[in-house]
Amino acid sequence: MSLVNFTTREITCKIVYYGPGRSGKTTNLQYIYDQVPADRRGRMVSLATQTDRTLFFDFLPLDLGTISGFTTKFQLYTVPGQVYYNATRKLVLNGADGVVFVADSQVRQLDENLGSLQNLQVNLLEQRIDVRALPLVFQYNKQGLRRELVLPKEELDDAMNFRGVPSFGADALTGNGVFETLRSVSELVLRKLSEEPSR
Amino acid sequence: MTRIYAVDPWVEKPLEAFVAEAGARLALLMTPAGQVIAQYGFTRALDVMAAAALGAAIVASTGEISKLLDEPTFSVLNHQGKRHGILLAGFDTPRGRMVCLVVYGLDSTPGLVQLFFEEFSRDVRDACPEPEAPKQVLAADFERELNESLATLFRT
Repeated sequence: MSLVNFTTREITCKIVYYGPGRSGKTTNLQYIYDQVPADRRGRMVSLATQTDRTLFFDFLPLDLGTISGFTTKFQLYTVPGQVYYNATRKLVLNGADGVVFVADSQVRQLDENLGSLQNLQVNLLEQRIDVRALPLVFQYNKQGLRRELVLPKEELDDAMNFRGVPSFGADALTGNGVFETLRSVSELVLRKLSEEPSR
Repeated sequence: MTRIYAVDPWVEKPLEAFVAEAGARLALLMTPAGQVIAQYGFTRALDVMAAAALGAAIVASTGEISKLLDEPTFSVLNHQGKRHGILLAGFDTPRGRMVCLVVYGLDSTPGLVQLFFEEFSRDVRDACPEPEAPKQVLAADFERELNESLATLFRT
């Protein structure tokens, strides 16, 4: 849940990058970390295994500057994608203001994407959050691979994006679509904040 | 002089008293989701967020372990290093649960920190006002400023 300080006029929001293992969640954060000026981002924290798979989460704080007179900060988290780590995934999801679902566009990964999306809905329901009420954006990553290996954005939308939320084709390694995804989820999160009064 | 920074001013006095009495070097009060409520001793705002994220994660994961063991939530965690120790503990307030990360040096002890932490949690509970009525946050036309901010961040 966003933390709003009316005295110092600061807003802090939590955005979680969710999705199956090896879909590119950490790569998204690494790209953002590399692109953003040092004075506008904090240290990127990665709790990973020895083989660089996310064990608990990656964390990147961003300072967006002043929006509507509020100093606005975003905390970007990734969850571990591997099925085995569901307990830690739930912990990271706790208090999320918005979710980016990073799907792997490869044809052979479709079942993993659907499984992970279902898992997101179950974990949100456990926290009594209606997935329809949560700002959500889809990113179809790895669109830069050979055409015969990946599903096009339209087919992935048909398979996963039942709500018709914003979706983006992306190639997080080169940064294609990373910025658009972040901008879209930021807008949804702040839009919700502007529509719903906060404490 | 190290300044206390607090989102809500009513936290400042109890935190000031706590760090002085317990000999704490750093202290961070946060929500269970890792949002910073108050801090003492950290010099760079964004590193505070990293510490808060890690502290909240430790408390959350040990909380889950306590559930697996069918135990009440562990109230205090202590780790002692060669030069520093940390204490992580949670407590309930009228505004919901709060988590505190305290870093102390060799000039203090886990027992002393824990003793004064209990006093601190009582003081925070007593000082904590009831939740306020919700207020409007952002103007409806924030998109332009958001886009400008993101464009600056990504140099687009």
